[in-house]
Amino acid sequence: MSGAGVVLIVAVVLIVAALAWYLIWTIVALARITKGLDRTIAAVGEIIDKTAPVGAVVTTINTSLDAGVSALEGLLVKKAGVSDAIGLIDGLYPGAGADGLRDFPGSGETTAPRIAEVYTRGVLTLARLGREAPIAAASPNGPALRDPSRGAGAAMGLYPELRQSRPQKMPRSPVIGTDAPVQYEPSESPGVRRRMPGAAAVLDPEARPDADAGTV
Amino acid sequence: MTLYWIGDAVLLLVVLPVVVYLLHGVLRAARSIVPSVDAISAAAVAGSKDLDATALLLTTQDQAARTIAGVAKYGGSLDVILDDADAVS
Repeated sequence: MSGAGVVLIVAVVLIVAALAWYLIWTIVALARITKGLDRTIAAVGEIIDKTAPVGAVVTTINTSLDAGVSALEGLLVKKAGVSDAIGLIDGLYPGAGADGLRDFPGSGETTAPRIAEVYTRGVLTLARLGREAPIAAASPNGPALRDPSRGAGAAMGLYPELRQSRPQKMPRSPVIGTDAPVQYEPSESPGVRRRMPGAAAVLDPEARPDADAGTV
Repeated sequence: MTLYWIGDAVLLLVVLPVVVYLLHGVLRAARSIVPSVDAISAAAVAGSKDLDATALLLTTQDQAARTIAGVAKYGGSLDVILDDADAVS
């Protein structure tokens, strides 16, 4: 065999060896890629399965919340009117009144009264429940009647004066329980008064059958 | 004979380097994909694990419905005990 033939064989062997070496390592790398993709596909499949019901559930939750918001807004506007409702919202959450009510377009442009700017929520509630209360008579556009940080004092002012200055004069709350100083015998006829209070009271209800009308 | 030597020279000096260069490029590209696939796989597994809490959405849905029902009952009661704004004014 000539020298050129030997060199040819050596060259071919080198090329084949290079091909084999690189291709083997390429196969190894591709195998690792395949394993990684298998793991990825499995995880993505789990993600798809887990997120499948999310859309319907979130839609249902949003529907429920929408209904709740509509009901509460409708109730607030029905009871307080749009202007006072915006004033209440703006007083409790400053700046929120400008957003208005969702179901009442244009309500955000309402000029809201200064409701909770002066009064705390407790005072406001009392004022609105008792519309004759003095604090409800003040104009919301007038000066502040008191320091808002001392809201409890204004709320107390709505109660009788005895409670403010001489609370020790007020009767004590009754003590109940097994350790109570006054123990009562169990009633033989629970739910039925033995005697009616006031002038119509009788000692023996059996003598007056019509006096047994005081069923509790 | 001279052509054989020229062929050998071309094979060793041109073909073999080109083959090695190309195969090395393929191997380098394949190896560069492996870390990316591993990272994607890890992220997908972590994402799937994070979504385990989606089952709780069913509880949230039920709780939201109950809450709204309670709010509706409360609002209905308020509607009864409080005067309407137009009725007061």
